[in-house]
Amino acid sequence: MIYDTLKARLNLNAVLRNLEELPDLDPETAAMIKAWDISIRFRVLRGISARLQFKDGRCTYEENAKEASDVVLFFLSHKHLNGMFDEKAPPIPLKGFKRLGFLKDEFSRVTKRLEYFLKPTPELLEEPEYVRVNTALTLSTAVHAARELVLLDPVAKQVGRQTPSGLLQIQVLPDGPNAWMQYDGKGGIVSGRGKNGTPAATLTFRDRGVACALFNGKLDDFGAVALGDVKLRGLVPIIDNTNLILDRIPAYLQ
Amino acid sequence: MKTYTYENSTAWFKRAVKVIPCGIYGHFSPAPCVPVDAYPFFSEQARGARFWDVDGNEFIDYMCAYGPMVLGYGHPAVDEAYLKQRAESDANSIASPRMVELAEMLVDMIPTADWAFFARNGADVTNMAVMVARSATGRKKIVTVKGGYHGTAPWMQAPGHHGVMEDDHQHVIRIPWNDLKALEAVIAEHGKDIAGLIATPYHHPVFADNELPAEGYWQQVTDMLHKNGSIVIVDDVRAGFRLHLGGSCERYGFRPDLIAFSKAIANGYALSALVGVDALRVNASKVFHTGSFWFCAGSFAAAMACLKELQRLDGPNLMRELGRKLTDGIVSCAASHGYTMKVSGELSMPYLRIANDDNMMLQQAWCGECTRRGAFFTSHHNWFLSTAHTEEDINRTLDICDEAFKAMKEGLGAQ
Ligand SMILES: Cc1ncc(COP(=O)(O)O)c(C=O)c1O
Repeated sequence: MIYDTLKARLNLNAVLRNLEELPDLDPETAAMIKAWDISIRFRVLRGISARLQFKDGRCTYEENAKEASDVVLFFLSHKHLNGMFDEKAPPIPLKGFKRLGFLKDEFSRVTKRLEYFLKPTPELLEEPEYVRVNTALTLSTAVHAARELVLLDPVAKQVGRQTPSGLLQIQVLPDGPNAWMQYDGKGGIVSGRGKNGTPAATLTFRDRGVACALFNGKLDDFGAVALGDVKLRGLVPIIDNTNLILDRIPAYLQ
Repeated sequence: MKTYTYENSTAWFKRAVKVIPCGIYGHFSPAPCVPVDAYPFFSEQARGARFWDVDGNEFIDYMCAYGPMVLGYGHPAVDEAYLKQRAESDANSIASPRMVELAEMLVDMIPTADWAFFARNGADVTNMAVMVARSATGRKKIVTVKGGYHGTAPWMQAPGHHGVMEDDHQHVIRIPWNDLKALEAVIAEHGKDIAGLIATPYHHPVFADNELPAEGYWQQVTDMLHKNGSIVIVDDVRAGFRLHLGGSCERYGFRPDLIAFSKAIANGYALSALVGVDALRVNASKVFHTGSFWFCAGSFAAAMACLKELQRLDGPNLMRELGRKLTDGIVSCAASHGYTMKVSGELSMPYLRIANDDNMMLQQAWCGECTRRGAFFTSHHNWFLSTAHTEEDINRTLDICDEAFKAMKEGLGAQ
């Protein structure tokens, strides 16, 4: 139960949410969605919901959305929703039957594009443009996933509760991507992209190459810290605990 | 003043990381050393209160091997005792009389001790202590203090760490330090299941101010636990023999049932000891706990020489006075630069922190600048004094501190 609920929350709030950022990062996506004017709601029976709105070449993602949408995709359970993400179960369209063709073609091309950037191959990681997008999206996925993990994953929950309150600022030099996580000291996290106030701890990557290699498990993190490629400052336990929380992601998302 | 660089340390680290997980793991890991480029990673030489790193930089050492060095590196009397014993017998197929002599010595020195059990590392004996408490009471739950550290066995680790299962913590209850109400509540809820409490004699967590026991705290803790039929274990691994040669409980006026020692017991030779009251002797004898190197006799000889020397020098008082000079000096040096330095814990192993620096970034910058100039200070962990530190060392350290404050301010100005 918890597994499916958490996986569904991660699929929506950490992974699908990246569609907000993708058009800014990837001109191809930007071109694809340029003329779209549509809202799509994902709704799980007695479960979570989210809404994507495409308009004026932008995408906005809204959690727990209740607003009416052009298309409503309904799922009988969190497991059912996860089935769609794993391409094993189709959603039940409740509204927007005329747009089903759009969903199948255009929309799924955009989600495929997102998947392409989130699932690197060794060859793709050699391409600077790919690295740029992958780094930004992986970082966003991570900070949003952390927030979900401390809510429901038993290990992350415990770690979250032991983490002092304060802001962790994650930054990739020289010009981003950046992301932050605010711990409330009681086990809760609020997170977002960019920078946000005075940090209690900072985690700084020398450059995008280092960040990308680390996010994709191609670099030993302790080695990177000792050699100065990754710099820690401030309340290091916040960073250690964040690592422990993020290490839980593979239990839910491959 | 010269500032250090660490090319050879870095080169060694690059080799290390290829063949050793993390390069350097555990409490020597560079991760909490911030900024990392202020710190050396490898050393090939140490003497007295100093070590030299692989780049030839000289440091006055205030981490003292994280506690084991208490008389100075390469102390002649300790080394002589060790070498003499080693020449006669170290590893062997049967036990050494030195083990008996050391046990007798500990029983004489330490009022709580009616017997002594030996191992190599601190965690060997904190583990043993918990097993003895469980065996003696037939109960399963162990109460510990949040932020306390007793080693790396799964039950001792913070929940959520890799390789540790939720079940490993099933019988561990964590309460805040100095919180008798919390202990009372735990006893009320789990009383009949509580085998014992394990805690350090005073609270010395990392990344946080250290806290002494409140007046009467330990006396009440021991009363409450004893009334409940539970065992009181003092983890004196870090503080042992730096506060009092009879065990740190003597400094605070209470008597536990078991005390775990290691670190300073043999001035750097590998040894740990669990000592206990007579009532637990039989239970200690029933618990099976042993190791291949636990009987090597060199460490027993070294420990006897080390403890004798600490007695001769009145080591704890000497270190306390040195700690007082050092911390008073740093406090006034900090004040002259407009900073308030907060000193906490015990003076022979003080924790220092710049006040109003919640994210510790000033503290990290300052400790880094001190280290770059030859005073080896970490920012996250208490420091240690040894009897080998001299007034000149401390004066030299205070000069370094002064320069470090200047450099830190310049650095902040440049940011
Ligand atoms: C208070 C305390 N207990 C136990 C231990 C564990 O000792 P060891 O690392 O020798 O196993 C330590 C080590 O740092 C310690 O400081």
